[in-house]
Amino acid sequence: MSDIIATGAAVPARPKNSILVEDKLMKKRNAAEARFKAYGIAAIAISLATLAIMLWTIFSDGVSAFRQATLTFPVTLDAAKLDPQGARNPADLVKVTTVGYGTLLTTAFRAHLQEKGVSTEGLDDKAVGDMISKAAPAQLRDSVLANPSLIGTTKDISVYATGRIDGFLKGRVTMQTAERDANVSPEQLQLADRLREAGILKLQFNSGFLTNTDASDQRPEASGLGVAIIGSLYMMALVALMVLPVGVAASIYLEEFAPKNRFTDLIEVNISNLAAVPSIVFGILGLAIFINFAGLPQSSSLVGALVITLMTLPTIIIATRAALRAVPPSIRDAALGVGASKMQTVFHHVLPLAAPGILTGTILGLASALGETAPLLLIGMVAFVANYPAGPLEGGVMDPATALPVQVYSWAARSDPAFIERSSGAIIVLLFFLVVMNAIAILLRRRFERRW
Amino acid sequence: MNDMSTAEIAATTAPAKITARNVQVYYGATHAIKNVSVDILDKAVTAFIGPSGCGKSTFLRCINRMNDTISVCRVEGKIEIEGEDIYDRRVDPVQLRAKVGMVFQKPNPFPKSIYDNVAYGPKIHGLTRNKAELDEVVETSLKKAALWNEVKDRLASPGTGLSGGQQQRLCIARAIATHPEVLLMDEPCSALDPIATAQVEELIDELRSQFSVVIVTHSMQQAARVSQRTAMFHLGELVEIDATETIFTNPSHKKTQDYITGRYG
Repeated sequence: MSDIIATGAAVPARPKNSILVEDKLMKKRNAAEARFKAYGIAAIAISLATLAIMLWTIFSDGVSAFRQATLTFPVTLDAAKLDPQGARNPADLVKVTTVGYGTLLTTAFRAHLQEKGVSTEGLDDKAVGDMISKAAPAQLRDSVLANPSLIGTTKDISVYATGRIDGFLKGRVTMQTAERDANVSPEQLQLADRLREAGILKLQFNSGFLTNTDASDQRPEASGLGVAIIGSLYMMALVALMVLPVGVAASIYLEEFAPKNRFTDLIEVNISNLAAVPSIVFGILGLAIFINFAGLPQSSSLVGALVITLMTLPTIIIATRAALRAVPPSIRDAALGVGASKMQTVFHHVLPLAAPGILTGTILGLASALGETAPLLLIGMVAFVANYPAGPLEGGVMDPATALPVQVYSWAARSDPAFIERSSGAIIVLLFFLVVMNAIAILLRRRFERRW
Repeated sequence: MNDMSTAEIAATTAPAKITARNVQVYYGATHAIKNVSVDILDKAVTAFIGPSGCGKSTFLRCINRMNDTISVCRVEGKIEIEGEDIYDRRVDPVQLRAKVGMVFQKPNPFPKSIYDNVAYGPKIHGLTRNKAELDEVVETSLKKAALWNEVKDRLASPGTGLSGGQQQRLCIARAIATHPEVLLMDEPCSALDPIATAQVEELIDELRSQFSVVIVTHSMQQAARVSQRTAMFHLGELVEIDATETIFTNPSHKKTQDYITGRYG
């Protein structure tokens, strides 16, 4: 002992200072702490600012997609033209094409303008008729075919104005752009102004944006998210049905029952690796296996759901295993100690305690799957789908469909500027679904969490 | 030194409930229990004492095969309960644990109601035929665990809401509800305050009339108070086992004497 004291370097004694005065080292430590806090606050501020900018951009672009320019005027559904035989026989009614309904609409429109004294100066009959969306005749025809008793009556109807007129009301189209535009003329815009004053043309809430099918480049005003929403709902339901039992069963087996050996280690490492595989790879896998090999119909929500299930499984397994591992081992000991079998221990005690974590992990996994685009492009869900899939019991999951994020992608790629607002509008709908799912996750967590 | 303790055991006239012969336990490459042979008597409390890491808890967990849950753990030798080898190939440890109950160091009630905590064992082992019988088992178990009067009005409230001492008595009630023949207690009072400890000790003394109780303890006083026989472990070996009085007044081994007088360990 004495040797050490004699040979070792003398350690200076701590200087005797007042604790009321901050010493040099303390100042340095406090400064380091203050710097670290400042970095943290700056990082959060940047993230929040970015989020705010993103949301502002989306909402300022997208909110207008929920309102659409509509023309309201009375139409007489002339029986002589729509049903020459007069028998209201569906087979005969179908013979009148959209061209017939188009003429009916444009005639009624011009007649109404004349009656209201709205001048159509400088515009020929065709240019006036072109203010009405090209989708309008088909919509009118569908409603008449669905309800033949309308024939012979006069009815106030609201039809979409063309995308350009809509753009004019929303400020996207101006007189200057119209001069260089083949689809609209400045005279039509002047007429639109007069129609607005006469109360015939106005922006209205457009439920069709949520229910209509997609429409071609020439009819942006008629396009909607109906097929995409149905497709996304089908996929989420199928993914939840497939991913939850498989993921939870796999996790329970791996965590509680599997022997710890080289083989299970390998599986474990590979599950972690799979979670990091780019999603487009799963798309190629789905294309090769489900479509080319198994022969399932392409563009169908079933194939989409299978691909997304494969993609989400590793995430769910990792989250579930973490939740199982978080259950204190003393509970397992207690159950085994009173003679519960392994399975009883897991299902009576461990699983109920892990349930909130498992549910949260699963719903967050599903939420990220809802926004998945790349693999769906590869299995053909980006196709233009103009028909609604059938109901879930009629095999609708095998019908072609799109999904919300894919619809965002395909609208963003269209040339007509009218699709920009629709693309942002679709993002708003997608965000709404994500918020709902996260809220459900929080609620379930609160509901099932045991505070004792 | 094993010869010595075997001779001591031979001197006891009461029949042994549990007989362990040449038990070896390995954790991977570590030899944790070395050639331990003891006899544990019925309707008596046997205390296992010894310094930390001497293997007394490990040996305790061999008796209901809780060590099976540790994959690297390997047990050799023979442990018989009334002549039946519990490490026999035909024995299902789950069935064994209904016979050999266990109370753990830290109170670990299930996050369920007090009633469900006690009723769980009888339920999974099919010991009762209807709700009335189950109610009866819950009541008698809680009474035996000296907890009934404190909880009879709140059987539906969570077991985890009780105080530490009450929780440990609940765990004892849970263990005796399955009508075990042997009750293993791994330092049951180490997380309790002196008052709760006294209550649990009193309880152990009462339980002795029905069960063979084995208790691991770090407290010499506790071993002296509650047990009739005491086994001293050191570095995975059994130093000696004898009547508690003999161990504390006239131990045959110097190691035991050093340990109980506080000079060692």
